[in-house]
Amino acid sequence: MTHWVVDELETDLDHFHLGPVDLDLAPRRALAVLGPSGAGKTTLLRTLAGFLPVRQGRILRDGVEISDWLPEERGLGYVPQGLGLFPHRTAEGNIRYPLELRDSPGADGRVRELLERFHLTALARRYPARLSGGEQQRVAIARAIAASPELIVWDEPWQALDVQARYELGLVFHELRESERVPVIVVTHDPTLAFSIADAFVVLGNGRVRGHYDATSLLRAPPDAFGARFVGFENVYDRAALEATPRSPLRAWLLERAGPDGVALTAPTHPAPSGTDPLWEGTVRSARPGPFGLTVEVLADDLLVTLRVPPPWSPPLPFLGERLRFRVDSASLHPLGTPP
Amino acid sequence: MGGFDPGRVADGNSPAAPPRRRWRTGPYWLALQLVLSASLLLLFLLPIIALFTYAPVSRIFSELSNAQVREALWFTFYASGIAVLGAVLFAIPLGYVLARRRFIGRSVVESLVALPVVVPHLLVGLGLFFLVIPGTPLYHLTQALGIPILNSIGGVVLVMVFVSAPYTVLASELSFRAVDGRVIEASRSLGAGAATAFLTVTFPLALRGIVAGLLLTWARAVSEIGGLLIIASFVYPGGLYSGPVTTTVSIFVYNLFGQGDLQDAAAVSSLFLIFAFAIFLLVRLGERSGWLPWHRGELSP
Repeated sequence: MTHWVVDELETDLDHFHLGPVDLDLAPRRALAVLGPSGAGKTTLLRTLAGFLPVRQGRILRDGVEISDWLPEERGLGYVPQGLGLFPHRTAEGNIRYPLELRDSPGADGRVRELLERFHLTALARRYPARLSGGEQQRVAIARAIAASPELIVWDEPWQALDVQARYELGLVFHELRESERVPVIVVTHDPTLAFSIADAFVVLGNGRVRGHYDATSLLRAPPDAFGARFVGFENVYDRAALEATPRSPLRAWLLERAGPDGVALTAPTHPAPSGTDPLWEGTVRSARPGPFGLTVEVLADDLLVTLRVPPPWSPPLPFLGERLRFRVDSASLHPLGTPP
Repeated sequence: MGGFDPGRVADGNSPAAPPRRRWRTGPYWLALQLVLSASLLLLFLLPIIALFTYAPVSRIFSELSNAQVREALWFTFYASGIAVLGAVLFAIPLGYVLARRRFIGRSVVESLVALPVVVPHLLVGLGLFFLVIPGTPLYHLTQALGIPILNSIGGVVLVMVFVSAPYTVLASELSFRAVDGRVIEASRSLGAGAATAFLTVTFPLALRGIVAGLLLTWARAVSEIGGLLIIASFVYPGGLYSGPVTTTVSIFVYNLFGQGDLQDAAAVSSLFLIFAFAIFLLVRLGERSGWLPWHRGELSP
């Protein structure tokens, strides 16, 4: 049961500066670190794990400062991008590795138990190159747990996994939090994973913290264009796009309601519901059916707007170039860049 | 007003698409490739065949009863073995430093490593000669330490390491660099100290490439002659060698040739090649068999 605190952490990697970052991780909490590529997510994890020096600030484990501890002393289960499995060791050999280092008695029993728990018993003697992506993930997490970490830190767990493997890994994560009772930090590009396992979110952008959130506040007030797209807003416009000349009525109307970073809105429905907000017209660029209806992209005043035709839509589908009318509900607009 | 026709947008399976032509290699192009490759292979093979067929086969093996030949053979493999150990001791660490550390003057060091490959070996011998002739500080040092250089095994090993160690430096640099840093970081996080991570992860993963480099180093060392002609055309006992006066096979054969004894030159050369091929083959077979550690975990082709 370890409590981790990251206090005003700053670090540099070549010409990239990260921080200051504050985090507070109670036992059994799961934090998702979000942000576009190059935001500093991996840099943050590698600093926590002890592979990059702390320039400013502190990392505290149960109140003890560990900022200058060696990676092997931190008790941190770090699963790097690409998993970092040992290619010259079998699945079993990978999981046994931390136990060998500790010379711990009962290693055989522990390895067997972990193999069983992660459904790897039949694959124990295979080398990583002969395991599927999902199986490799399970080996990586079993190996991390074998070291009895005080914090699990996982960089991009869902990378290159198929839909089924993702679903299974989600279950593994839930079980992990119940059984290991240690906090978890995941870096992910995948909203489904983030929302299903994390109870806290931190959004990074350009090396800085854009905000701390829980699921509700992230959905209600995403910090920036990245956050808005991440949580699933179909239409996200940054300020520069709205300010572009020549002005058009739709852009001017959105600009009036935008925050410092722009504005996000969910897909307006077609046919347009009645309301007091103005009606706009756009030209159909594409249409794509899905379980939640038909997603139609229209070009209105030089802005691409995604519309939704809820099921059951009546054929025929909108054709390319057809003019469609829609209404943007001003209550559904989310200004971006305002603090939560 | 037509409906939205998906067929008009996505026409990947249009039935009207022409059938794909099968791509075929032109006969002349194929013939050219064959002729050019075969010419080079013949150049490799024909001199060896000429060497083996010049003297009768019985002569090749009767050379083994000649003590001088046996001593030269033994000495050559012995000295080149020490040179390989020297490469293990000094070239692998240099390769590691070049692969993992960033420092000022790195590119200078890298060109320095390539230098022995470029410099004619006779000049290498000459340079070493000037360094260790009586009167120089190094001469006094080696005398005081009891490691004679000129016309002794010390000089032979020095020349061999000079000309052959770059292959191990380069091979180990590439192999260490090819080890995924994230795998090493994973091992550190799991509790391995820097040295343990090196011994259990980095080194085993780089070993295969390093051994390939060592094999090249050995091959280069065992076949050296240029530098040795100047430093140690004869080897007197002293230092790590206590046998009778001898020389390397390369110089032994060179002397036979100089005396016009072509039959013996060919026979001793063939004998040497048989031993050298045997060692080369053994390492290769070990690599194939899978009992050497570096094949583990790889997908077989």
